[in-house]
Amino acid sequence: MRSIRLTLLKWLILPLLAINLLGGGLMYQLAWVPTQAAFDSNLSNEAWALFSRLHLREREVEIELPQQAEEMLRVDRFDAVYFVVKNSAGKVIAGDKDFPLLSVPEQFDNTLTYKHVMRGSPIRVAALKTMIGSQPIFLGVAETLRKREEARSAIIIKVVLLQIFLNLLLITVVWFAVGKGLNPLKQIRQTLNARSHEDLSTVSEKRDVAAELQPVIEAIDGLLSRAQVGAKAKQDFLADVAHQLRTPLAGLKTQVEWLQQKRDIDQDAGESCRLMMSSIDRMIRQTNQLLALARAEPNDFEQRKLETFELDKLVGESVQHFVQEAARKSIDLGFELHPTRVTGDRFLLRDLIDNLIDNAIRYSPPSSVVTVSCYQSNASGIFSVEDNGPGIPPADREKAFSRFQRLDTSSAGSGLGLAIVRDIARDHDAQLGIMSGPEGRGTIFTVQIPLR
Amino acid sequence: MHVLLVEDDVVLADGISRVLRASGMVVDVLGNGSEADSVLQRAQVSIVVLDIGIPGLDGFEVVRRLRQRGSNLPVLLLTARDAVHDRVHGLEVGADDYLVKPFATAELVARVKALLRRSGSANTELQLGGLTVDPFSKRARVNGKSIELSAREWAVLEYLLHQASRVVSKQQIIDAILPWGEELTLNAVEVYVSRLRMKIANAGIVIRTIRGFGYMLEESKPDA
Repeated sequence: MRSIRLTLLKWLILPLLAINLLGGGLMYQLAWVPTQAAFDSNLSNEAWALFSRLHLREREVEIELPQQAEEMLRVDRFDAVYFVVKNSAGKVIAGDKDFPLLSVPEQFDNTLTYKHVMRGSPIRVAALKTMIGSQPIFLGVAETLRKREEARSAIIIKVVLLQIFLNLLLITVVWFAVGKGLNPLKQIRQTLNARSHEDLSTVSEKRDVAAELQPVIEAIDGLLSRAQVGAKAKQDFLADVAHQLRTPLAGLKTQVEWLQQKRDIDQDAGESCRLMMSSIDRMIRQTNQLLALARAEPNDFEQRKLETFELDKLVGESVQHFVQEAARKSIDLGFELHPTRVTGDRFLLRDLIDNLIDNAIRYSPPSSVVTVSCYQSNASGIFSVEDNGPGIPPADREKAFSRFQRLDTSSAGSGLGLAIVRDIARDHDAQLGIMSGPEGRGTIFTVQIPLR
Repeated sequence: MHVLLVEDDVVLADGISRVLRASGMVVDVLGNGSEADSVLQRAQVSIVVLDIGIPGLDGFEVVRRLRQRGSNLPVLLLTARDAVHDRVHGLEVGADDYLVKPFATAELVARVKALLRRSGSANTELQLGGLTVDPFSKRARVNGKSIELSAREWAVLEYLLHQASRVVSKQQIIDAILPWGEELTLNAVEVYVSRLRMKIANAGIVIRTIRGFGYMLEESKPDA
């Protein structure tokens, strides 16, 4: 995988390191060249000092170098010092006979410094050509390199330490700068990650976008819009299919019910009719739930107009629907409806009400008590459905609202009912709650629907 | 009673006709809105059961034209779409009731009968199970025997009978039986209903209580 961060870091840090390395080399040069010059100048001075010891006697060059003076010349705290004095004929007048006085400056009174080896050690030589009287004379002073090496090591260590420090500083700065530069990307990522899979709204309308990211965001938005159109089409298709299934289902149901009502039907056929009816009723229920689920899609919800209305009246409209089913199971279905105003989509909230009541009747054992109530509480309306059935263990409560999740597999349910309830509650910013009934028996579902 | 059924789904149309015929009605079936419109201009029927999504003119348009001609023929709309919009629109154009597909045949029959009862002249006898009421003389009989009813009890029974197989709230009962401005407590309704229950006990009719809400009068089922 290619990483923008790595690419940026690579292209920033590597060249900067190379430049720094070059700078380090330069720094070393700047420090070392004057140091070397200073040492060399010292060595030249010694050559001149030696020259002051020479004088002419009867056209012969002589040196006046007492033991003590020679020792002073030769003794150095760190290095061995060598010297030589030669006349123009090449005769060694004084000093070390094996002194490698190879090069001499071309001009008089100039010193020349160079590297050489003497007695197995590298040395630095200062050579001087001058005149004494009318005779040319050559002097050489040399020393081993310990002092210089130490100075050079000190310079190198300091340059290297400085380089390490500067490079670390540079890497840190670049690292942070790159991170900061990539921040908008991170924010977009977080925005996208925080989304539910159903939220297909475009990115750009919700935030300021960095100019460089604009094309990417536009592309993402384009894709999202296309996905939205696709999702809408799928949803419409689902709703359409559910609607279109209703007429043939109605035909089937009517015919089977007709068959069931015939008095001369034999017992086997009667049983078969009963089974067909239960299948048909399940198909009908699931078709209706698919429709409700398609309707509860948040993409669809945005476009609907919310209204403020009386929730108790809406619940009243649901009653008819459940009386027969409750009677069949001998369930005591009751209502406590107080005047309650809420703001929402009347149609979706009807689905929510229907599904919660249906759920309670379906999953409560025969002869249970189911009570549906609503009342106003400050800025919201509370709708609740209470049963005295088996109850839902706290651990399963979150699961209860997932699609196709059936806590009790023995009942004929699609497992969509509570998922529909959850979707619709979410659309309305309504608070959904599950509690145990009094003395830990049964279940109370509550929905707190805002009044705006 | 003559029912005109307008439904283009052959299986459903056949099923509904069987069920309605079994309830003693005469049923004619059409599968097209334009045809239905022209038939309604000449033929005399007692009620129209009309699907909204039919070829030709749609159900709404058929009702609209019917009402434009000044007919008050009862119309029961059948819809595969339960959108509130459809329902409101249906009632706005002049339908009397609607049913969302798929429905229980018992409910269809009950609705058709209720519409027929409502549309019948005020002096027509109403009958359900063993109960017969005569709105003109305000007298009721159970299995042929007269029963004594107070004026309020009579009003409650008549309303419940008109709304048979439908859940009605106590408030709806009060609104229906009282002239505007008069007050009646919900408890009073309970008292009337419990008295009615005793008086029609043997009529094969139950008045079901929906706790905290209201009542529903229906024929008790033979097997229940």
